[in-house]
Amino acid sequence: MIHFKYYIVVLLSMFFLSKLDAQDISGRTIMQQVKDRPDGNTRYSEMTMKLINKRGRERVRKVKSYSMDIGVDKKTIMFFDYPGDVKGTGFLTWDYDQIGKDDDKWLYLPAMKKTRRISGASAKKDYFMGTDFTYDDMGSRNVDEDEHKLLREETIDGHNCWVVESTSKDSRDIYSKKISWIRKDCLVAVKVEYYDKLDKLHRKLILSEINKINGFWMAQKLHMENVQTMHQTTLLIEHPKFNIDLAENSLTVAKLEKGTI
Amino acid sequence: MLLLLLSLQVGAQELKLNGFADSYHAVRSSGDNDFMSSRSRLRTELSLTKGNSYLFASLNSVHNNILNDETKIELREAFLQYTANNWDIKIGRQIIIWGVTDAMRITDQISPMDYTEFLARDYDDIRVPVNAARIKLVKRKYTWEFVLVPVPEFFIIPVSSDNPWSAFYNATQKIVLDEQTKPKTTLKNTELGCRFSFFLSGIDFSFSALHSWNKMPIFKQQYSPERDTIFLSPLHKRMEMFGCDFSAPISEFVIRGEMASFINELQEDRSRKNSVHYLLGADWYPGNDWTATIQYSHKHINGLSLNKRSTSTKIKGLQAAAIPGILADNVNYSNGDLDDSTSAPKNIHSNSKLMTFGITKKLIRSLLLLSTFTYYDLNNHGLFNRNYADYSISDQIHLIAGYDWFEASEGMFATYKHNSEYWIKAKFCF
Repeated sequence: MIHFKYYIVVLLSMFFLSKLDAQDISGRTIMQQVKDRPDGNTRYSEMTMKLINKRGRERVRKVKSYSMDIGVDKKTIMFFDYPGDVKGTGFLTWDYDQIGKDDDKWLYLPAMKKTRRISGASAKKDYFMGTDFTYDDMGSRNVDEDEHKLLREETIDGHNCWVVESTSKDSRDIYSKKISWIRKDCLVAVKVEYYDKLDKLHRKLILSEINKINGFWMAQKLHMENVQTMHQTTLLIEHPKFNIDLAENSLTVAKLEKGTI
Repeated sequence: MLLLLLSLQVGAQELKLNGFADSYHAVRSSGDNDFMSSRSRLRTELSLTKGNSYLFASLNSVHNNILNDETKIELREAFLQYTANNWDIKIGRQIIIWGVTDAMRITDQISPMDYTEFLARDYDDIRVPVNAARIKLVKRKYTWEFVLVPVPEFFIIPVSSDNPWSAFYNATQKIVLDEQTKPKTTLKNTELGCRFSFFLSGIDFSFSALHSWNKMPIFKQQYSPERDTIFLSPLHKRMEMFGCDFSAPISEFVIRGEMASFINELQEDRSRKNSVHYLLGADWYPGNDWTATIQYSHKHINGLSLNKRSTSTKIKGLQAAAIPGILADNVNYSNGDLDDSTSAPKNIHSNSKLMTFGITKKLIRSLLLLSTFTYYDLNNHGLFNRNYADYSISDQIHLIAGYDWFEASEGMFATYKHNSEYWIKAKFCF
C-alpha cells in the first residue's frame, strides 16, 4: 500500500512537473538558451556549399571561416577558396548584438586589390554567394529582434523538441516569421521554416549530423530549400575547431587583404 | 599542364597553383568593324606558404593578334610576405592600391596605369605592379603602413600607330618614344609613402603622405631633322602628396570621400604648381543583389587661369590625346609648339570635373551579372560607358559580352570617339 501511494505521488509529480515545464518556459527563454549555447570563444570551420537548382544542377562554393566573441558581439572573417573566380575574396563582419545597430562589413576583392566597406543593412535581403542563406542567416541575431512564442512540443527522429514561433519585429527582414524545432537535450535546432510577408512558406532548413565536438554541440549539415523557387543549398561544416588560438588582431582588414590568418 | 593543376601539401608547406586562361576580342561598332583588340592569355599563379612566410608569383603568357609587342611572357607579381602577430612585411613586385574610390585615382598614386588599351580592360590588368617593400603595423582598430619603392614605375602610354588605342591616333609622322628622360635608377629617386588607417564601428578613415613623381608623363616633343619622325620624351618631376579618405555606412548606403593635395606637381606648361583633387561618392545597396554607385570628382590646379580649352588640339599634323584626368589626376599631354618649352597650356583645365555612375545586378543565383559603368566628363560633356553581361556557365567557365560606348566631341574621351566597340570574352579558372 505504501508502495502504491509512493508510485501515485511520483507519477503525479512527474505529470505536474512536465506540465509546468511546458507552460513555464517561454519561447524567448528557449531562444536565448539556444543563442547562449556554449560554442567556445573562438572557432574555425571549413564550409562547403552545394547549390542545387530545380533541374538538379549543382555548383560548389568553399569558404574558410574564423570567428571570435567580443563580449556579446562577434567578429567573423571568411576567405573564399572555390571556385577560382572568387578565390582570394574575403569577407569581414563585426556582428553587433545591439538591436537596431547594423553590422560592420568589409569585402576584399583580389582582382581590385581593394577592400570595400559595404552596407550592413542589405545583409537581411542579399543571399550569401548565391546560396539560399542570407548574410543575416550566416550571422547571429539578438533574441529580442523577434517576438517568440512556444507553440508546442514535438518529437522528431526520437528527439523531444520545443516548437517556437519567432515573429520578426524588423520590417526589413525577408521573413515575417520563422518556426523552429529545438532539440531539448542539446539546444540545437533540427528544423526551421521561414515564412514570407504573405505568410506563405518560403524556405525550409533541415539541420542534421548533430554532434558534440570538443565538448560543443553543433549541426554539421544544413540543408536549406527555397520551396517557392525549388532552389536548394546544402552547407557542410568540416573540420570544426573551438577555442582556437586566435588574436583579435587576426580579424582585421589587414588580414582580410592578406587572404589568410 | 597537369603540374599546373596540382596542389601539393608537403609537411608544413603548402604549395598551390591557380590561375586562369582567357580570350578577349573586340570589334569597332562603326566604320569597317575592324578588330580593336584580340588577345588570349594564360595567367598562372603560384603560392607557397610555410609558417608565417608566404611566397607568391603570377605570370602572364599573352598572345596578342593585333599588337606584336604585346605578345609576351611577363612576370606580373612576385613577392615574399612575412606576417607576425602585429606586423607584416611584403617585399617584391606587387600592386599597391590606396583609397576608397572606384576606378579613379586620388590618393592611389603608387601603382600607375597601363593605357595600352585605355580603360577597355579589366581593372586588374590596367594597374602596373611596382617593386616595393611594404610594412604594416597592425593593431585592432588601426594600421600603419610604410611603403618604399626604390625604382618608380610610370604610366604606360600607347603611341604605336598599330594600336587603335594610341594616344596619337592620326599622327602623320612616325612617333618614337625616347625614354631617356625618365628618372634614373638611383636611390635618390626612391618613392616613400605612409598611410595611417582606422577601421572603427561605423566609419573607416585614413591619412596618407607620399614623396613621389608625376606618374603620368608630360611629353616633350621634337622633330627629327627630316621632320618625318616625332620624338616624345616623357618628363617626370618630384612631387609630394598629402591625402585623406573616409568610408561610412549609413543604412543601405555607404558614403565615401577622398581628398589629396599635390605639392609641386608638374603641369602641362612644364611649370610646377600645387593642386587639390577631391571626390565624394555614395554606394547604394538596396538588397536583392542590386548595387548602385555615384561619384563626383573635382581637381583644382592653383595658378592656372585658363578655364575652357580644347583637350585635343591639332597642331602641325599631330593630334595628341588628352588621356583622362580620371585615372591620371591631370591632363598632361603637351600639344604646344614642338620644342617650345615655354608654350602656354592648351589642353588643361584649372578645374576638372568628372562624374561616374555604376549599376550592377546579379541574377539567377549570381550566375548572371549585369553591369553598367559610366565616366562623364562634366567639362566637355563627353562620356565613356562600359556595359556587360557575365554568365557563369560552370564553376570554372565564364562567358562575358559587352559594349563600350564613347561619345565626345572634345575632351578626354574625344580621342576615342570612333572606338565604340562590341566585345566578347571567355574565361576559364583553375
